[in-house]
Amino acid sequence: MTPTSTGNFTRALTFFAIGTVVGLALGILLHSLTSGGFDAATYFTDIPSWMLGFLLGTLGFFYGLLGYFGVVRGLVFQVIGTLAGIFLVSAIRAAMGLPFFDGRNFGFHEGAWVFGALVGAVAFLAGVGALTDWWKWALGEETHDHHEDIPGWRKYFGVSLDHKVIGIQYTITSLLLLSVGGLFALIFRTELAQSGLDIISLNFYNTLMSLHGIVMIVSILVGIAGVINYLVPLLIGASDMAFPRLNAFSFWVAVPAAVILLASLGLGGFDTGWTGYAPLATRAPIGIQMFYLGVWVAGWSSILGALNLVATVLRMRAKGMTAFRMPILVWASLATSIISLTATQLIGLSFQMSMFERLFGMPFFNVAKGGNPILFQHLFWFYSHPAVYVFVLPGLGVISELLPVFARKPLFGYKWVALSSIGIALVGFLVWAHHMFTSGMNEYLRVPFMYSTLLVAVPTGVKFFSWVATLWKGKIETPTPMLFVLGGIVVFLLGGLTGPPNATVSTDLHLHDTYFIVGHFHDTMFGGYIFPFFAAIYYWFPKATGKRLNETLGKWHFWLMTPSFIILTLYMMRVGLLGMRRRIADYDPMLGFDFSHLIMTIAAFGIALSVLVMFYNMYKTLKSGELATGNIWNSRSPEWQVPSPMPAHNYEKPFEVVGEPYDYGLPGSTYVKM
Amino acid sequence: MQNLRHYVVMAILVAIVAVLTYLGLDALELLPVAAAAQAGPIDWLFDLQVKLIAFFFALIIVPMVYSLVVFRRRKGETGDGEHIEGNTSLEVTWTFIPLVIVVILGYIGADNLAQIRRVDPQAEQIKVVGFQWGWRFEYPQGFVSNTLYLPVDKQVVLKMESSDVLHSFWVPEFRVKHDLVPGRVEDYRITPTLVGDYKVRCAEICGTSHAYMLADVKVVPQAEYDAWVSEQAVIAAAEAEAALANPDAGRGEKLYNEAGCKACHSLDGSQGVGPTWKGLWGSQVLLADGSSVLADEGYIIESIREPSAKVHQGFSPNAMPSFAYLKDGQIADLIEFIKTVK
Amino acid sequence: MTQHTKHHSGSLFQGLVIFVLLAFLTAVEFFIAITNASVLLISIAALLKIGLVVYYYMHVYKLLEDDDEHDHHSYAWKLATNRLGLWLFLLSDAFVFGGMFVARFNLLGFTRPHLNQELGLIVTSALLVSSFFMNRGETQMAQGDRKGFLISTSITFVLGLAFLLGVVFVEWPEAIHEGLTVDGSAAGGIFFLMTGMHAFHVLTGLIFLLIILRNGLRGLYSAEKHWAVEAAAVYWHFVDVVWIFYYPALYLIGKAL
Repeated sequence: MTPTSTGNFTRALTFFAIGTVVGLALGILLHSLTSGGFDAATYFTDIPSWMLGFLLGTLGFFYGLLGYFGVVRGLVFQVIGTLAGIFLVSAIRAAMGLPFFDGRNFGFHEGAWVFGALVGAVAFLAGVGALTDWWKWALGEETHDHHEDIPGWRKYFGVSLDHKVIGIQYTITSLLLLSVGGLFALIFRTELAQSGLDIISLNFYNTLMSLHGIVMIVSILVGIAGVINYLVPLLIGASDMAFPRLNAFSFWVAVPAAVILLASLGLGGFDTGWTGYAPLATRAPIGIQMFYLGVWVAGWSSILGALNLVATVLRMRAKGMTAFRMPILVWASLATSIISLTATQLIGLSFQMSMFERLFGMPFFNVAKGGNPILFQHLFWFYSHPAVYVFVLPGLGVISELLPVFARKPLFGYKWVALSSIGIALVGFLVWAHHMFTSGMNEYLRVPFMYSTLLVAVPTGVKFFSWVATLWKGKIETPTPMLFVLGGIVVFLLGGLTGPPNATVSTDLHLHDTYFIVGHFHDTMFGGYIFPFFAAIYYWFPKATGKRLNETLGKWHFWLMTPSFIILTLYMMRVGLLGMRRRIADYDPMLGFDFSHLIMTIAAFGIALSVLVMFYNMYKTLKSGELATGNIWNSRSPEWQVPSPMPAHNYEKPFEVVGEPYDYGLPGSTYVKM
Repeated sequence: MQNLRHYVVMAILVAIVAVLTYLGLDALELLPVAAAAQAGPIDWLFDLQVKLIAFFFALIIVPMVYSLVVFRRRKGETGDGEHIEGNTSLEVTWTFIPLVIVVILGYIGADNLAQIRRVDPQAEQIKVVGFQWGWRFEYPQGFVSNTLYLPVDKQVVLKMESSDVLHSFWVPEFRVKHDLVPGRVEDYRITPTLVGDYKVRCAEICGTSHAYMLADVKVVPQAEYDAWVSEQAVIAAAEAEAALANPDAGRGEKLYNEAGCKACHSLDGSQGVGPTWKGLWGSQVLLADGSSVLADEGYIIESIREPSAKVHQGFSPNAMPSFAYLKDGQIADLIEFIKTVK
Repeated sequence: MTQHTKHHSGSLFQGLVIFVLLAFLTAVEFFIAITNASVLLISIAALLKIGLVVYYYMHVYKLLEDDDEHDHHSYAWKLATNRLGLWLFLLSDAFVFGGMFVARFNLLGFTRPHLNQELGLIVTSALLVSSFFMNRGETQMAQGDRKGFLISTSITFVLGLAFLLGVVFVEWPEAIHEGLTVDGSAAGGIFFLMTGMHAFHVLTGLIFLLIILRNGLRGLYSAEKHWAVEAAAVYWHFVDVVWIFYYPALYLIGKAL
């Protein structure tokens, strides 16, 4: 880091402190004005005030770091836009004879908050500069094809059209959200460490539990976007994505979405879990609207990012790169994007309908007026099941991509593995109601959905067998990336094996809504995303930065995280089978789960500590790490045939594909001719 | 043929690991005691699934670990692995066999489901109402209980309703759970087979106190059940008569705690989903339309039976479900209690 | 000269023929609905209409046109890529409308809200005719007739606006007056949701039309380069396709409540 950046950092911290204090004070002031009097005891427990403090603190931090630029401008616009939207709706209401203020909703009518948040999101995009070129096109003005990035680290905080910058922006944002979601988990895991603890209130617990889920999900979507956006153009020999401006938009729209999601904390929270079911949602605090809207806005990132990926893969592959000569990660990205592009609209729709039920009284899920609560579940899960394949397909692609490099052997049955991703994506659309076996849905639908769900095991099995066969007769090395690949396989295996009991209706009737399910999906998420995501970071960090992450610290990370996680998940499944329900803030000591929960809490902290090791590793390496400018993994893949860090325009001249991607062990064979 | 040695060793290891894994899992007693007829088929299928899990776990992990050990790059070794691109017959095999297994498992699962859904036309019906955050059981003999008494070895069909949001009825020892959907009546059939005390806990997130939404379930011999039912019926009838003549604040307070009033109406003046009862009796209540009404007997009876008729200003018109099921005597008890909350 | 496939954007006459077919099929739908209300026949008529619009008006076959595969800086390549991007976007958007369509049948089954059939036919006709003029305008631009493009597109705009105003300021108040309210019943809710989301897309379509009209007036488009016009036209026809689904779903299929 340059000296000026260090100075900036100090300034950033100062402004963070100032912003937090100002926001907190402002919040407490507003609160006391509206609730009639100061109460010293509530000063430091008033969550909305803390959220305001946190918002202004974050704004201050980035301002100190960057000045009035990029994300700072975006956030300022978001705040102003939100206030403008709130004011507009409140003014219209006042003109209609309704009260301007609403004492029960943190000062303003629910519709004002929702509209304000929406305007704020659009304003953010305008402020950060993600809409500028399109605005110009609408006005009939020309724009440059290429925008030169500003030099240095500042470019990561503003709009860049370079997919490599955007990929890193996505990745860092994802790690940030991972930390926030993880923090929430640590807090409520502390609450659960013993029965009868009362560290946080029931409502705050429910909110943290709900936010943990959705923040992690958004972190995953943003993380896979990071991996995909950084790598796919490099893998197919393109200089960028098909639509670079759309790419920048897709990243930046996720930022106000995250702000809105976290704003729910300051607006009373919500207690539905990330699934947001009506009819509980209809009577939840207003925080649920921020949850719904945050997800809706984040959906744009997913959908448009997927659109970009599909167009890029279909239109920009290098000469000679036929379908079955694409790197396997490209297949995985394509499969993921097919789902993201289409199914995401359904969670948007279901949430929109629930928002409208609250805002306009449209009784979609109210039986008394002809509605159907189970309709919400169908619409919701039609996306949310395929979504989990969105979460894991890229990671499984990373596993398939890296195993050949470290086993020095072709990916076994490459074509089958490629098609298995597509197979999982397609079959994944047909299974959603296995989340609803106890819901009171139509009885005759349960068995077909059981069959379709069990069917997903077939293409998934193809992957596992192919991975094992790839290792067979290899010449295997296990540096850190490979450790995470192997860990991913083992953990995802646990997830896959615990699938059939959930898929089978009769056993699911016992397992549904228990910690067994929580164990199952943490297995699949860690195995299919977290472990491979970390593998990708350790593997491609040198490609992006020209420096290699410290191997010792990497091993510490792995060997601390993996046993911790396995212990966590095994205990989760155990207590779930014995009667521990999910989404509960407390449990009966008579159930005898106290010891298990204590272990789980310790394990959770173990995982958190291991991730901190990785963050420290990243920081230290960027500052003064081991240089790694060449093909350190001896990979056949095109991106490693050019120096690290990756040159600005990727490949000076387009390369041509002249062989198979994974012909390790075949003397004299090349994949690409540079 | 040098491969044969590998395969034999791995096959033996797979068998050992599979068996050990299964035995280990089996020894752990993964499930609570089985207390219903429906648990039989479920536990049997669960055991089959554990066997399959143990086998496939071994089938993947053993070759993986074996390869990591046997085919690791030793110090000083150069060169790559063996150039094996694939093996179509192997691919077809490990696609086709799992497909067959999946279809068979599906069939077994469907059959298993049919087994646990057997209907006994003689099953006794008990109405179950779930609400934020408690349970109430309405017996056909004309009384309401907060504890679910069930006769052993007889199928009952619980007719489940929700007063407000989604809930779910679950006794782990019974295995089967089923959601309560507001606006519908959901049938839940169960045949308890083990005398004992259990708990039913809500298994669908339903708001603040979801964690604490539970009730006692007592499975008792038929004779004891019949005796309890008759006793309850008699008590209920007597109470109803007594209440009309002599309303009792103590019984009213019991209702306040058990019927669900507590979830929304505070006694100390603090804000809740519904107006506080502190000082309610005899006060002037400001309504949503600006008019005001005296909080007298008529107002309270109407508010309990038809909550949306007169909505207290500042409160949501659709938040309170109707408690029309309460008998006149019970409402009289509640009013007595409300009078005491100053 | 870059290579193009044999398909042209179609002729003005072809556009007219397709319109006549669409109008005929709409009349058939309506007639079936008021006589024997066969869901199957109405669906077939609707699907035929969609096929005609997607093929002839939205010229979906252009996705398969040749272009400069490896010169990513050529206009032809960018055009083909933009086209793919637009269709992917429409594919995605179709899922929202599909979801609401499914919701409508889940909630109402084979019943439908009681709506003003005359009004329904009027707004549907306005939208259909607007599609004719949109296709005409795009064809004229492809043939270099800038003036014709401006006139046709302006007519499209006026008709689209008539649809929007007709739905929002005539249909909606009428429905509310008849007792079909936003919050009174699921039927009301789904009616306002479906027509509202569709109307919102009509509104964005109108904005898009204003943009190409303005830029068209300033001479930004030519016969060889008019991607924005093509995009606006295809989007407009998509909005029409949605209505081809929604009109029977709300007005024709099922027993009126």
